[in-house]
Amino acid sequence: MSSGFRSMHPSVAMVYYAGLLLFAALLFHPLFLATEIAGLTFLLVLQGQGRGLLRGLPFYLLMAVSVAVLNPLFSHRGAHILFYFMDQPITLEAVLYGLMMMLVLLTVFILFISYNYTVTTDKFMYLFAAAAPRTTLLTLMTMRFVPLFQRRLRQITLIQRIRGVDAGKGSLRSRMRDGMTLLKVLLTWSLEEALQTADSMKARGYGIRKRSVYGIYKLDLQDKAMLLLFTVSGWIPLFFWMKGYGVLDIYPRMKPMHLGWADAAMYASFCVFVLTPLALEGKEKWLWRSSRHSSYPSATLKKTGTRFMSSHLR
Amino acid sequence: MVLLGPSGGGKTTLLRHLKRELAPVGKVSGMIAYKGRPLSDLPAELAAGEIGMVFQNPDAQIVMDTVWHELAFSMENMGYPPAVMRSRLAEIAGLFGLEPLLYRPIHELSGGQKQLLNLASVLLLQPKLLLLDEPTSQLDPVAAREFIQTLHRLNEELSVTVIISEHRLEEVLPLADRVLLLEEGELRFQGTPRDFVRQAGKEPDSTHRAYLPTASRLFLALQPDAGSAPMESIPLTVREGKRWLHSLDGIAAGKDTNAASGGDGSAVHTSRTLAGTAEGFRAHEDPASPLSPAGASRTVPAPSNELLLGCREVTFRYTKDGVEVLKKLSLSLYRGELLAIMGGNGAGKSTLLHVMNGLLKPQRGRVTLGKGITSGFLAQNPLLYFSYDTVQEELKQMAEYAGLPGERAEREISRLLEIFQLENLLLSHPHDISGGQQQKLALAMVMLLSPDILLLDEPTKGLDPGAKERLAALLGDLRSRGVSIVLVTHDVEFAARYASRCAMLFDGGITSEGAPAEFFSSNYFYTTVVNRMVRDLLPQALTIEDVMKTWPVFASRS
Repeated sequence: MSSGFRSMHPSVAMVYYAGLLLFAALLFHPLFLATEIAGLTFLLVLQGQGRGLLRGLPFYLLMAVSVAVLNPLFSHRGAHILFYFMDQPITLEAVLYGLMMMLVLLTVFILFISYNYTVTTDKFMYLFAAAAPRTTLLTLMTMRFVPLFQRRLRQITLIQRIRGVDAGKGSLRSRMRDGMTLLKVLLTWSLEEALQTADSMKARGYGIRKRSVYGIYKLDLQDKAMLLLFTVSGWIPLFFWMKGYGVLDIYPRMKPMHLGWADAAMYASFCVFVLTPLALEGKEKWLWRSSRHSSYPSATLKKTGTRFMSSHLR
Repeated sequence: MVLLGPSGGGKTTLLRHLKRELAPVGKVSGMIAYKGRPLSDLPAELAAGEIGMVFQNPDAQIVMDTVWHELAFSMENMGYPPAVMRSRLAEIAGLFGLEPLLYRPIHELSGGQKQLLNLASVLLLQPKLLLLDEPTSQLDPVAAREFIQTLHRLNEELSVTVIISEHRLEEVLPLADRVLLLEEGELRFQGTPRDFVRQAGKEPDSTHRAYLPTASRLFLALQPDAGSAPMESIPLTVREGKRWLHSLDGIAAGKDTNAASGGDGSAVHTSRTLAGTAEGFRAHEDPASPLSPAGASRTVPAPSNELLLGCREVTFRYTKDGVEVLKKLSLSLYRGELLAIMGGNGAGKSTLLHVMNGLLKPQRGRVTLGKGITSGFLAQNPLLYFSYDTVQEELKQMAEYAGLPGERAEREISRLLEIFQLENLLLSHPHDISGGQQQKLALAMVMLLSPDILLLDEPTKGLDPGAKERLAALLGDLRSRGVSIVLVTHDVEFAARYASRCAMLFDGGITSEGAPAEFFSSNYFYTTVVNRMVRDLLPQALTIEDVMKTWPVFASRS
């Protein structure tokens, strides 16, 4: 299902995620981080990825919480001592700092989940190809081999069991030997076939002249507008960050948070940056949802497609 | 133009010489000219673009991971601008019906689709000359037919010159303008397909007959003076064959009435009795009678009733929420029979063999082996079996695993080597021998386990006619020693000739089974070419031998 933000040009998505990663690293401020987490989570839910997110959540939470717990145990900086744990002072600042680290980690985790869903390898390779066509070709060919070898190894394992080569049985030594045999079969087979692949490449004119790149993506007007929007709304928070805004000082003593007009402007611009894809996705939802109510002459349009989309919302 | 000849006859070498980039290393004398210019003088782009080549193995030619990537690959190599690539891709995708597949990963495609993709990818460079090296040998018959039809269209509509080497000539030969027969590196014959048929008719014992389409072979078998028959009367396709048979039928009927009016009473009498008593004719097709269409399997003792392997309501799927590949399938196998399992692509034939061999565990139902019965399995790809550097080592290790003591192992190995004609290859690397030999080696390895049941997955794929016959003889020999064989195949002709029982796998279950004669004669499309040709006259005849046996009787009857 490719719609909304996912259907945008890869460069748009790339700029978006690069920006988010930059902000997550630079803007050490709970408000900004929380906004980023909320925005990305909501985007994923809108894209119907809520379940996948939920499945990974225990792991991410465990990682993040353990950082939050470990920080005050190892760092004793800060002015306010809360209590002593095994003769170690636990300071309020360290606890807060740990919580902030937790937020940063969570942001990065969610960021990558969303990135993986939106920027598929195909898109990434497309962007990469413009910079380094030969490397991209090589990478693509190599990447094809990973699942291919997995499938082949499965076949080989199955068949070699007939002749008593089984990496799942016996002593560790015989297992290792059998495992190596299986790999050897795989390698011999694949190298043999690679010769034919090389022939096929040569036969189709590989290396005759400089390669051009065929792209399936087109940069349309909306993509350009989005790129402009991202650039503008991304530069403003960056500008303010350079002036020293948007970073919460915790050590040695937490500074009080205060919101001036500059902070407000910075936050507003940041929100525009983070939430634009959400708006796009929401618009898509709304388009399809409203079409259920509007009367289409064809009955088929109303049926499955729209219901499927809306059922994800609930 | 069709190139034909036995494996190792030099077809591939010739084709590779025509494609400059792939010319084999070695001593070359003589000259190859393309459009009046020596091939070696062509500019690189012309040589790559105007001469396209498709190889035997659909998988090995693929470079990229998705369909559009693969299609774009050759155009990217030539450095075409994006706009040109886009329009050419659109054109070719439309022509080949690849649009729905454009974004699919290639490994999800079937063999036939992959081979079409390979062809399309070559055609994007708009070649004037297409070289194909046994492109359909790895495909099932339906996909092969589709592929050849596409080639025919390209040839007719775009006037692309096509040079194809093939073993499966049923479809290709009628379409060819010129036939070349290569044997031992020499050009043995060159001419039109009908010329070729006539030539083969002049030498009754020639092995070349095996390369002819069935219609022509039947023609040669029934027409003693075929060598001098007029060119137009030689049938190449089922339709032509049918027309010819009916004309023959008319002549025979005419002769018969002549004879009757001539006053030969006894002739009239015998034909009457034969025609009058329907059983008289049917008796010839009774599987038990000597005229049974079971063909060459006749010499093998009839299967006994000893049950070797039984599947009871086996249900299998690969993943938890995948589709059920086998659904409540029941099947039994008796000693000494050759069971051919047929079915479309993805019907679960290979899966069934895996389950029968115990490589996969069914989720429901049971597979029961008779007491002390072992089974051996030969997968479609023999390369999966090899893990040593020489043929000898492979066999030795296998014998060791089978638990044969030293002396007996050696005896057994040398016996198998003799049967499979592998003696000269003992020290070669298993990957260096030909496809057919690899298969034989794998089979020999399986045989070392001395199984009572042999499960074969598509054993006739990519074999030339001679090799097929040798395989059949081998299987017959095994059967006479009480080994049961199950083979999964697309090869209808092979199953009809040699199987003792045929079964159809469809929608996860066995939908019909029976002796070949009944099994195939009840099918309309899924039957042998001979049967399709003569079914109006001899509904149960499946092979040329059947027709030859029953034809005189039939001719005198009508």
